[in-house]
Amino acid sequence: MIKESTAQAVLLEAQKSGADYAEIFLEDKESTQIEMLDGKVESANYTRSCGAGVRVLRGTQSAYAYCADIGEQALMETARAAAAALGEAKYSPSGEVTFAAKRYGTKMERPFDSIGNADRVALMREGALAAKGVSGELTQVMVRYIDVLQRVTIISTDGVFSFDERPRTRIFIQAIAMKDGEAQTGYHGPGCGLGFEAYKDRIDVAQAGRTAGNMAVTMLHAPECPAGFLPVVIDGGFGGVIFHEACGHSLEATAVGRDNSVFCGKLGMKIAADCVSAVDDGTLPGEWGSINIDDEGMPGQRNLLIENGVLKGYLIDKLGSRRMGMPATGSSRRQGYTFAPTSRMTNTFICEGGDDEEEMIASMGEGLYAKKMGGGSVNPPTGEFNFSVNEGYWVKNGKIVSPVRGATLIGKGSEILKKIDRVGPRMWMAPGMCGSLSGSVPTNVGQPRIRVSGITIGGKGGAIE
Amino acid sequence: MTNTDFFKKASEYARKAGCDGCETFFAAGESFEVNANAGEIDRYSVSRDAGVSVRISFGGRQGYAYTERIDEPEKLVDRAIDNAKCIESDDPHPMQKKCAYQTIAPGKSALADKDEQARISLARRMEQAAMEADERVQRVVYCSVICEAGRVAIRNTNGLLAERSSDLSLIFVMPSVKDGEEVQTGIAFRMGADAADAEGCAREAVQDALDKLGGTPVASGTYRVLFKPFAFCDLMTAFAPMFSADEAQRGRSLLAGKEGQRIASEIVTLTDDPFDPVAPRAFDGEGTPCAPKSVIENGVLKTLLHNLKTAAKAGVKSTGNGSRRSAASTVGVAPAVFRIEPGGIPFDGMVKRLGNGLIVTELEGLHAGVDAVSGDFSLKAAGFLVENGVVVRPVSGVTAAGNFIELMKNVSALGSDLQYALPQNGYYAAPSVLVEKLTIAGN
Repeated sequence: MIKESTAQAVLLEAQKSGADYAEIFLEDKESTQIEMLDGKVESANYTRSCGAGVRVLRGTQSAYAYCADIGEQALMETARAAAAALGEAKYSPSGEVTFAAKRYGTKMERPFDSIGNADRVALMREGALAAKGVSGELTQVMVRYIDVLQRVTIISTDGVFSFDERPRTRIFIQAIAMKDGEAQTGYHGPGCGLGFEAYKDRIDVAQAGRTAGNMAVTMLHAPECPAGFLPVVIDGGFGGVIFHEACGHSLEATAVGRDNSVFCGKLGMKIAADCVSAVDDGTLPGEWGSINIDDEGMPGQRNLLIENGVLKGYLIDKLGSRRMGMPATGSSRRQGYTFAPTSRMTNTFICEGGDDEEEMIASMGEGLYAKKMGGGSVNPPTGEFNFSVNEGYWVKNGKIVSPVRGATLIGKGSEILKKIDRVGPRMWMAPGMCGSLSGSVPTNVGQPRIRVSGITIGGKGGAIE
Repeated sequence: MTNTDFFKKASEYARKAGCDGCETFFAAGESFEVNANAGEIDRYSVSRDAGVSVRISFGGRQGYAYTERIDEPEKLVDRAIDNAKCIESDDPHPMQKKCAYQTIAPGKSALADKDEQARISLARRMEQAAMEADERVQRVVYCSVICEAGRVAIRNTNGLLAERSSDLSLIFVMPSVKDGEEVQTGIAFRMGADAADAEGCAREAVQDALDKLGGTPVASGTYRVLFKPFAFCDLMTAFAPMFSADEAQRGRSLLAGKEGQRIASEIVTLTDDPFDPVAPRAFDGEGTPCAPKSVIENGVLKTLLHNLKTAAKAGVKSTGNGSRRSAASTVGVAPAVFRIEPGGIPFDGMVKRLGNGLIVTELEGLHAGVDAVSGDFSLKAAGFLVENGVVVRPVSGVTAAGNFIELMKNVSALGSDLQYALPQNGYYAAPSVLVEKLTIAGN
């Protein structure tokens, strides 16, 4: 994709205004997206994005330039633009970088270019039929399929010269149930960092369809969730979004390195209940959030974040490492060449604990069992978060009495972590797209079933008899 | 390869391959972004990009393909044909016929003619102004100056040629303030002709943060609520898909078939105005000429938003709302500039009219806590408690929940303070809006 001599010249050009680090990121990304509505393919699109970015650092200052052209001349111009941001080109850097060429890549049994749209459509139809089959109250089923193959080459003055091939694919099934002018939706969207073989034994499309269908129908018959400050049991899988938003983002160097996090200066200190341990693990094979190498060329790793309630580590990229005086953690990620990389999560989850899944509901008295969380967001400087609960059940006297809709959980991440009083024995994850400074990247969230002794539950404030 | 050449080669190849139509959507642009932190420039990005999307019609079915390697039109057309072959929907999607456009004066862009140094010093000045605005300012979380220039050209085998260019100037700043142990952040932005107002923007952001200090929840209950313009714009952004004929035809909008019916309070008029000076345009994402139109007039739904495909299906004319989120996207539907027409009451008067209730200044969780299919929302909210027409104290840690359709029916007054929100797949503008009842969950 790029000659070594070109890379040398571009890196030298990028350092002419005094940068002490320069990096080239080349990307060629192909993707197919298909949408099916009511069992019929509605649209199909193929996209190929291709370009390069040059980043320079001088101390903790950074500049980034990118271009949708990867020819040598364009690369040199991009390097000059990045250098110009740091000041005048008055230095004449010399010396060749000694590169250590490395090839990475996820092994694929069925690469996306070996299958046709017919294979993709057959898979989607299976999911659509399974969803529709759940109930006559379902008025609409939509299925979206995407596969992406991203090929990157990362070259830096640290001697990195690495090529990586990153496949991922996801199917998203949404079902809508309507009755008497009311509409409720259910969805399920499993995904993997693998080729099309993901649908053989990792992803059960029919099961995903049924999950979506059941959720829509259950919520159609659910009353509004009561409001109040009460115990909440949050299931595993996408329930992990609570940790991702309320804690994970505040452990990223983008927040910590600029003193914008409630967890600044808290290493070695108790920030969570004893039963809470958490990691960010980019090395899990084939997972949606996994990476072979990060976008600065560092291999992914398993980073311990919290151990028995004590803060053990942050998620740090190169720039964050300079700001914080701590080593990078293989956490530098970006959506693509149009973004400079920064510290991000991969597969982030609360580790398995020893509490019984049934007991934590049976002993909670009155409260909410949040089976499926929706998304949420957090303001890192204050730690305040909000999440929606897409499938919830009301619990009275330790027994589930009714499904409930429309619940929102709000609070502060640092406070919730201390209020976790049960952690179940079985952890599972769910995929999502996480948006931040360096764009949208695939991440897994996860946890076992947990209980929080009290969270503010908002909503329209229904009453459950 | 120039985009004219690309179109010629692609359409010629498509014709030989048996296609009955071919369109290229070419987009190119430059962008500049700089972020100041503690007097230094800590993030800086410049770019040049270009891409082309090909849409072909094959046996009446359409396929898309997009690339940023503008050198192999034939390969791209092959991909698009491959995609067209798997389409099963029978709905036709005509391409725009050759047409003439109104001449539109471009929007004002205060930073378009400023050089890099001027833009960098603007970012530094804005940060400094924020730091100096109040002694409780701790630091500036974000302080960005963004300039973008874009060009679009649509060509098709009907003889269409639609070309335009656009400029965006935007500055925004987010300071954090600390009082005792409490930290709050505020945000403000300026765009277009106002984008050089660093000081005003900084002061507004700091005030926004200071106003939130000491906020506490209110008791749960039903409240009269006065939405500030940006909070209401957020709701409009989230629920804009309800007005899309595409969503309606897919059975995903409660407004399907409601044209001609009362769907909002009779004081509500919602205009989609592609000629609004904030972002004027003569044609939409598929080259259809645009014109201003009432979407809701005195509470009555006049039309949904159409592109050529939804219009053909409904047997109406496109409303010029064909949208491409990006050059790589397929054609969808989105508003141009969605504007709730302001009333005659200044904000102070609106607070008096509220009497007892809540002012909602901010809503959070919009990408999760709203359901555009059901119209339901449940969002974290912040603002002020008002008693007897006087602001009593800040409020935080509550959620506001309701249904957008119900909310629109319960609008009882509109302010004169029209404001434009940051664009998100279209522009949104609203004045402050008084709503008779909304469920607030607090303590």
